[in-house]
Amino acid sequence: MDQSFGIVEQRRQGTSVVAVSGEVDVATAPALREALERVVDEDHGPVVVDLIDVTFIDSTGLGVLIGARKRCADAGRDLRVVVGEPRILKVFEITGLTELFSIHGSLDLALSA
Amino acid sequence: MTTNNSAPDPSDTAAAQTPSGVVELAIPVESDLLVLARLAVSTVASRSGFDIEEIEDLRLAVDELCLSVLDGRRSGRLHLRFDGTSGQIEVSCHHDGTGVVPERSDAYTDGLTDELSGRILDALVDEHGPVVRDGWRGARLCKRRAALDA
Repeated sequence: MDQSFGIVEQRRQGTSVVAVSGEVDVATAPALREALERVVDEDHGPVVVDLIDVTFIDSTGLGVLIGARKRCADAGRDLRVVVGEPRILKVFEITGLTELFSIHGSLDLALSA
Repeated sequence: MTTNNSAPDPSDTAAAQTPSGVVELAIPVESDLLVLARLAVSTVASRSGFDIEEIEDLRLAVDELCLSVLDGRRSGRLHLRFDGTSGQIEVSCHHDGTGVVPERSDAYTDGLTDELSGRILDALVDEHGPVVRDGWRGARLCKRRAALDA
């Protein structure tokens, strides 16, 4: 139902960037999981999940990110997350995931980390 | 969403608002329809004087409440009741289906997400927990307006 949800994959500076937009919930999380699994399995180098244009994320979306982080770790790859919206950052904070993820305020900062 | 003054909604998704301001919503268990629960709580919270940040908290909390009741089910109907009276919002949710809870093989429905869901509810609402309504097991939450707590 969320027509604004979207995923764009690209390579920038030797990094796989997965840019997500819209609401990440139980309806859209499977598509994000598939995209991240494909990127982690097929590409190389760091992975950046860009959530700048994400307007909502729930525990299913967070679960997908945690799964992707583990997949990256198993493949010897670094996973970074970009968060711009304060209310999205708040979800990471209240779940304690700011301690788990490398979170950056912009894509440029994530790419140069 | 319809009111008592409207004709009955013949579709699978039905909602009603009582004269007291209590909104009831029944939706088929389809993942892309949970957005209706978020929309309903946004509307009730706005009418009850909650501010934007509180409304965003409630959208996420109700989403997590629904997920906890569904517990991975993919069939049946989800019944929600939103009571925005008395300077607080109380939301109850139960599932009327008889479907078996499926094996948890998906990364987004494992025990970890349950833990995350619990942390989210702990942080965003004043009370939450299990409830039995009309013989069905469900869950409820309650959030008071911050202005009233001050």
